[in-house]
Amino acid sequence: MEAAWVALLLTLKVAGWATALNLVLGVGVGFAMARLRFPGRDLLDAVFTLPMVMPPTVLGYYLLVLIGTHSAIGSWLNHTFGIRLIFTWQGAVIAATVVAFPLVFKAARASFETVDPQLEDAARTLGLREVAVFSRVSLPLAWHGILAGLLLSFARALGEFGATLMVAGSIPGRTQTLSIAVYEAVQAGQDDTANFLVAVTSIVCIAVLLAANRLVPGRVALRD
Amino acid sequence: MIWDVDLRQALVHDHSRFELDVRFVSDASRLVLYGPSGAGKTQTLKLIVGIARPDDGRVAVAGRAMYDSASRLFLSPQERRLGYVFQDYALFPHLTVRQNIAFGLRRGLLNPSRSFAAAAVERWVEAFHLESVMGHYPHQLSGGQRQRTALARALVNEPAALLLDEPFAALDKRLRQHLRDELKELQEQLRVPLLLITHDDEDLRVLAQEVVHLHAGRVAAAPPALEAAIAE
Amino acid sequence: MKRHLTLCLATLLALPAAAADLTVSAAASLTNAFKEIGAMFEAANPGTKVALNFGASGALLQQIAKGGAPVDVFASADQETMDQAQSQGLVQAAQRRNFVSNTLVIIVPTAAANLPKAVNDLTEPAYQRIAIGQPASVPVGRYTKGVLEAAGLWGAIEPKMVGANNVRQALDYVARAEVDAGFVYATDAALMADKVKVAVTVPTQTPILYPVAPLAASANAVMAAKFVGYLLSAPAQAVLAKYGFGKP
Repeated sequence: MEAAWVALLLTLKVAGWATALNLVLGVGVGFAMARLRFPGRDLLDAVFTLPMVMPPTVLGYYLLVLIGTHSAIGSWLNHTFGIRLIFTWQGAVIAATVVAFPLVFKAARASFETVDPQLEDAARTLGLREVAVFSRVSLPLAWHGILAGLLLSFARALGEFGATLMVAGSIPGRTQTLSIAVYEAVQAGQDDTANFLVAVTSIVCIAVLLAANRLVPGRVALRD
Repeated sequence: MIWDVDLRQALVHDHSRFELDVRFVSDASRLVLYGPSGAGKTQTLKLIVGIARPDDGRVAVAGRAMYDSASRLFLSPQERRLGYVFQDYALFPHLTVRQNIAFGLRRGLLNPSRSFAAAAVERWVEAFHLESVMGHYPHQLSGGQRQRTALARALVNEPAALLLDEPFAALDKRLRQHLRDELKELQEQLRVPLLLITHDDEDLRVLAQEVVHLHAGRVAAAPPALEAAIAE
Repeated sequence: MKRHLTLCLATLLALPAAAADLTVSAAASLTNAFKEIGAMFEAANPGTKVALNFGASGALLQQIAKGGAPVDVFASADQETMDQAQSQGLVQAAQRRNFVSNTLVIIVPTAAANLPKAVNDLTEPAYQRIAIGQPASVPVGRYTKGVLEAAGLWGAIEPKMVGANNVRQALDYVARAEVDAGFVYATDAALMADKVKVAVTVPTQTPILYPVAPLAASANAVMAAKFVGYLLSAPAQAVLAKYGFGKP
């Protein structure tokens, strides 16, 4: 079942990259939203949360329009760097990142909001510049909540289907992730393949949940 | 002049407005900010150390200008080098006592390690008898130990002055007395200027060389009974 | 209160049995033609509603075979899928008929600079991405693979393949210019004449003939048989011809 192995590795690669991107983006945006106050903050928060509630196919369509080869961004990338995002694993990463972003963002924002700002002030009075205050006080104290969000985001990216299919297509070895491979196998009546892929996917999901329970003791849930 | 403070700030919170207009100068090495709760004492202290921003005014401590709205001067709290002890100590819960005290000695992106050793740290650990709890975390400490850790942490940086927000508030009477005497002795030894917030009469009597009374955001005249107490 | 609840439940349960519904699963390439034909059939048979379900023939078969979907008529784009249905005993073999034919074409985006003149032009580097239906489940993909394998080109072209789940998706990829070329039916290309242009008409080893048959498990056998017959009648054939389908 070499095809299944290829799909599994690709799925882990796409989900891994998406989660890494969301670590930076989600934590950054979550911190900014937790600490800054400005008019329209609630609206911006809603926009950042949108991918979580939007149907993946709607997201897929928006992405096609935004980064498709003939969009402003897409054609610029193509002409300047020769990069095309549609039908590539990088496109799949973007789709998975967008879909899973709110999970990290919300967890990060909520976690940073529980960090006592007085502790950050104390660090400042002791001479630490802002970046150090973040890395030594804010981040370590918010880390547990952020980790829970990251694990959820990884699981979500693993299972991403709708937006990925639209943006990256179904190209074995390049963009055919596990969930898409299952879909194709079922359509083609290839039951043995489908059963095998489903079993592999289930094992991976259980493994992620087990890891989650060990790293974040207690329920893997967003903190209130 | 050790303390030269002239601050104005209007705070709007949920339709209620609090106006702070504080002005005082003093040469006292132990100055007390005294007044009922809600008078604006903590806010004044925050403005002096730089973690809050005034609307206009001027702050100079120990001969060094830190804020001046006229010349657009605003030193960040990092630049002011003033030690600050918060009312509930604000100890870093994820760091041990040793790491908390050593915190200001490392300015990089990483916290000092659990075995970080420095002369400055050992000196304060000894002075405050914290040897036995060096590896403990703040939640494992008694009230008195926390207070001393917070004080040590502020002092290890050799600040130009020390600001304390109700440093004995959470302690029982006997401990309070003990630590109060300790603080006075410490200040006399180190000669570091102290600005202290309290609403306790005894603190006033023992520690204050001068008192600034704050009431509803403004400096008020002292009640006569208090004046007599301080004169001792 | 209890009476209202019972009334609501009764209505909900009664709805499906209200009209005589005919469910038709048809290959994606038949979408536009069948929508028209469906409406015409309803007009000619008052009281009957035609529910249309489009997709790749292979996927539609799986819905019937695995999912037990309550389909009355199945129209596929190739003989192979219908043969599979027949071998599984899913269709009324005696009533199976071929009702249209189609041609395989290579299309490119209208704005494309490169226009292939023959199938093996696609092996050139100018064509990096080629939309082809998934051969396992999409008839147009099967026809394409058959042609390419016979010409000894499958090895060179497969790495460039962007798999489509049905012929309309392949058409969409070319229309959006996300691929450099694609294999679709002539009837599909005609629908987007403004966005795609036909470069090559590709002869297939066997003619592309679409079969249709009523389902053995159909709850509406009489109407199903009538629909199959209607497809072969003059009005339906005229509609199909209008969309570019050929005679069976």
